[in-house]
Amino acid sequence: MAKEYSVIGKSKVKVDGLEKVLGTTKFASDYSLPDMLYGRVFRSTVPHATVKKLYLEKARALDGVEAVLDYHDIPGKNRFGIIIKDEPCLVDDKIRRYGDALAVVAAKSPEILEEALALIEVDYDEIEPIFTFERALEADAPIIHGTTNIHQVKHLECGNVDEAFKKCDIIIENVYSTHRLSHMFIEPDAGIAYYDDDGLMTVVASTQNPHYDRNEVASLLGLPYNQVRVIQAATGGAFGGKLDISVQCHCALLTYHTRKPVKMVRSRSESTMVSAKRHPMTIEAKTGATRDGMLMAMEVKICSDTGAYASYGPAVITRAMVHCTGPYSIPNVRADATFVYTNNPMSGAFRGFGVPQVAVCHEGQMNALARKIGMDPVEIRIRNAHQIGSKLTTGQILENSVGFIETLEKAREKAAEVLS
Amino acid sequence: MNKISISLNLNGEDRVIDVFPNRRVVDLLREDFKLTSVKEGCSEGECGACTVIFNGDAVTTCCMLAGQADQSTIITLEGLAKNGELDVLQQCFLDEGAVQCGYCTPGMILTAKALLMKNSSPTEEEIKVGMSGNLCRCTGYEKIHAAVKNAVEIYKQKLEQGGESIG
Repeated sequence: MAKEYSVIGKSKVKVDGLEKVLGTTKFASDYSLPDMLYGRVFRSTVPHATVKKLYLEKARALDGVEAVLDYHDIPGKNRFGIIIKDEPCLVDDKIRRYGDALAVVAAKSPEILEEALALIEVDYDEIEPIFTFERALEADAPIIHGTTNIHQVKHLECGNVDEAFKKCDIIIENVYSTHRLSHMFIEPDAGIAYYDDDGLMTVVASTQNPHYDRNEVASLLGLPYNQVRVIQAATGGAFGGKLDISVQCHCALLTYHTRKPVKMVRSRSESTMVSAKRHPMTIEAKTGATRDGMLMAMEVKICSDTGAYASYGPAVITRAMVHCTGPYSIPNVRADATFVYTNNPMSGAFRGFGVPQVAVCHEGQMNALARKIGMDPVEIRIRNAHQIGSKLTTGQILENSVGFIETLEKAREKAAEVLS
Repeated sequence: MNKISISLNLNGEDRVIDVFPNRRVVDLLREDFKLTSVKEGCSEGECGACTVIFNGDAVTTCCMLAGQADQSTIITLEGLAKNGELDVLQQCFLDEGAVQCGYCTPGMILTAKALLMKNSSPTEEEIKVGMSGNLCRCTGYEKIHAAVKNAVEIYKQKLEQGGESIG
């Protein structure tokens, strides 16, 4: 007899459902405070350059403008980033992507704000922009960060791959390419910063990552953590795209200088321009099997573009590698991954952290193998599926809860039902 | 620029307001009337988050100027629940779990409402076409579709029992 649970197996009304169908849920852009200023960022219109001169005087002189700030106005550290601190709040050394933040403005109304932004001008010294993985690695390519355009290189190996390939009856080799994707969460990034009644710097934002945001705001303003508070507003979709800093630091910096609440709401185009993207990948794969469809060896080379800033690149490179065989047991595996910096939009977290990209590859290989051998594509998967006791490429032994074979069998039954 | 005077019926009340002619209706509703259920998603009429019922039609307010709202009747999500009682559509969205992040929800419910005000028994296909201008990025379309279908049934039963009509 099936067990009765209080929640599992029951249809429950969402705890925040009522406010949402009434339209009373407060998202970040719905907040308003007395004396509130409107903030926006002045962004670069070139992808790779140094700033010769930034002309802020006219905007500063405009009536109703309360702050026009550049990197000189940052009291603390001008670098953030979830894993590697390589992204400036406001550009100091050079521009690394189209849309890099050069200045922030706070004004009494959105109309004055727009007028002020139109008064800012900039002279650039342009540098050759790098838009491809291949160009990033060439010896004469300009360097985007530090001393090399290689963001990370990783290697993972188990068994004896070269020997195993010699014994395979069938070898399949293919190259897979996946493209850059935008999360396109329906609520553009937004937030409001203010000093609360106790003098705490407070930021209410559309975010997935309030604890991380708090640390970045504190570091930017040179404040101890206990002087900064970040509150997650109801968040209108994110899918990994609101794990990075968006408006939090810019808002907080404007509030720090004006002592007034500052609200920033990104337009759709601004949000799409500077939020993280899914890593585009090129994956070369070589898979070897016996005539009866048992996987013997796999060799994978993953190349990806993490864009202008690291964001979650270091997490994605690892996840892509350790998942490159998919849910299949292969005793001999060699995986190499190289991620580079370019002047493209930064790539970061996006549902699956690189795993969906490699899934395109391992599933493509399984289908190609099934076709070549003349075996049912579900059967070849069941034959090689992970189960309890399977050893992964990393050496981990799966000890419990491996439902892949059962799932495949159920799916096959269901498909037969639907198709009959 | 001189302000213009706008008269409209907003959620059942007659309102008059002076605004600049370049004010968009989404800002008029959100900023001037504080009706923040109206959401802005794309600012170009693609996503449907800013939908309201305008003279009986579902329209995206990010693409309308304030002058177009003069002498109009507008219903936002704030105007749907009556005397603390949820509209049938609101109840169905809640019961069916057709709400995830909630940002597309106001536009979804109002688009469905406008559809049912014109056609009280739409086919599945008519519901899909009717709702096609509203995007949900959490991809809850199945449940949204089911919620609208349930609402159609409940409205039908209410009408048969001699109760209120949809509009």
